[in-house]
Amino acid sequence: MPVILEVINLTKTYDNDVHAVKGISFSVNRGEVFGILGPNGAGKTTTLEMIEGLRSITSGDVILDGIKTTDQPYLIKQRIGIQLQSSAFFQNLKLTELLEMFADLYGSTINPLELLADVGLKDKAHFLVKKLSGGQKQRFSIATTLVNRPVMVFLDEPTTGLDPQARRNLWDLITQIKSRGTTVIITTHYMEEAKFLCDRVAIMDDGKIVALDSPDQLIRQLLSRGFKPHTEVPPATLDDVFIDLTGKTLRD
Amino acid sequence: MNQNTRSLLALTKASLKMYYRNKGAIVFSLLIPIALLSIFGFLSKGRGTSIQIGLTNHASGEVSKQFIERLKSVKAFNIREITEEEAAAELGKGNIDLQVIVPENFGTMESDKPLASSIQTRFNSAKPQSGQIANLAIVEIVSNLDRQLTHSPSVLEVKSEGVSTNNLGYFDFILPGILSMTIMQLGIFGVAFSFVAMKASGALRRIQATPVHPVYFVFAQAFVRLLVTLANAFILIAVGTYFFGFHMVGSYFSFAMVCIVGILIFLGIGFAIAGWAKDETQVAPVANLIQLPMLLLSGIFFPRDGFPSWLKSITDYFPLTYVSHSLRKIANEGVSLVDLPVDFIGMGVWLVVVYVFAVRVFKWE
Repeated sequence: MPVILEVINLTKTYDNDVHAVKGISFSVNRGEVFGILGPNGAGKTTTLEMIEGLRSITSGDVILDGIKTTDQPYLIKQRIGIQLQSSAFFQNLKLTELLEMFADLYGSTINPLELLADVGLKDKAHFLVKKLSGGQKQRFSIATTLVNRPVMVFLDEPTTGLDPQARRNLWDLITQIKSRGTTVIITTHYMEEAKFLCDRVAIMDDGKIVALDSPDQLIRQLLSRGFKPHTEVPPATLDDVFIDLTGKTLRD
Repeated sequence: MNQNTRSLLALTKASLKMYYRNKGAIVFSLLIPIALLSIFGFLSKGRGTSIQIGLTNHASGEVSKQFIERLKSVKAFNIREITEEEAAAELGKGNIDLQVIVPENFGTMESDKPLASSIQTRFNSAKPQSGQIANLAIVEIVSNLDRQLTHSPSVLEVKSEGVSTNNLGYFDFILPGILSMTIMQLGIFGVAFSFVAMKASGALRRIQATPVHPVYFVFAQAFVRLLVTLANAFILIAVGTYFFGFHMVGSYFSFAMVCIVGILIFLGIGFAIAGWAKDETQVAPVANLIQLPMLLLSGIFFPRDGFPSWLKSITDYFPLTYVSHSLRKIANEGVSLVDLPVDFIGMGVWLVVVYVFAVRVFKWE
């Protein structure tokens, strides 16, 4: 599979001598969903923001779609979609107005209602963002990353704080984005989410990548090292129980 | 359309919508200056510069009618027709400045010859100025009528014309001051709080995630604020003129030019604070530290003439002093822009200093 993103020896050192990212390298294939997992403070967000051009790079290179990102940061931003961890938008603007504004900033033409329908928010088109629930806000936030028909979207913990229904709904949306051929990089704390969505995951800890492979392969490697789970793993999880009892439909 | 223009237009449109949908802020930004204007407006109305006259007319002829008509045509007079006794009582209380009594035989003719008759006036000796001025006017009216009746030509006369600049009240002084205050507060507080909120919430960072440099957003915001502040200034002048008789002696164009320069200075201060601050809690103390001394010491509510000389020379350099001083010179004295070089150099220097400083301290996150 052709590579769309190549990260080489990426390092971030802050002025106060904090080494947030310690020379990581990886590549992402075109059309895959790539997950970055890791505990808080592992350097996931810093890594994403350096790739996106939102944070300066201490050393190392990022090649995205054949372009060195530090050479042409604005061209890179033109081609990617960025969802930030805290999805804040201007107050007092309707969803359609915000989408049109973002489209204008990229110089692209969109049909806001169509885009909202794609993320399941067509009936909220004339609402203000502050009237949306947590899950709706995240879906809207993803919609804003799609206005420029990006080759790659960056989703930073899109499902954190959502209830199981809203989270699964967002999984469907991400799967749908992938099915159109858009590459997705996602960070998450939820392992079952990574297993469901990601073709490959990188596990980060303390600014380094400690493992990188497909979820199944990583599990197989662990088992082959003689790992025994602490408890008997039942064929269903509590998540499944919750969804079974409360249904798959959205509550927001 | 050029992409930069398109981005700027989109952000300006968004900024305008954000502003006009925030009804509470619009109302409050107008409420305080209009309340202040009204307080000062009613205060200066109550003080009234007109001379109170108590008139008692015993005559019924044509000449007495002419006399009263002429008396009433004097704008400075406020005339009440009351009985002699009432007038005497009011004069004693100081409610009227002058009592005028027209005798029964005033202007009556006897075999084609006018009868001699005298109008009696009494004024409050505790307030001699108004009484004597009024008396002079009455003497003038009466002697005119006298010449008419006796058909003697007038040889000597005085020609005078009203000069409005000499006729300005406290309200005319205060309006440019309140206007400068509004410009300052909309610039500093309006921008600093809303912009830092967008910074703290991450809305500004979301713009940084697009190919557009966030400085475009600053331009869009500044443009909308300029429009909004000009609109507020227009409303204040309209209210002042319509309800409280504000006199604009100079040109509205010059006045507007100074307003625009002033708005740009204070917007710059607002953006400098918002750019430096991390969140709203840092904005309030700094914004107050900057605006309070100007509010109190720039001479917007009272002239700075009474200040000790060291304080006066410090406050000479405040941006609000330059703005309110030049607005006042234009509105009250009709001075043109070229005759205000000191104010313009002062404002120019502040404009440069404020924006250089703003760019230095600005942090996008």
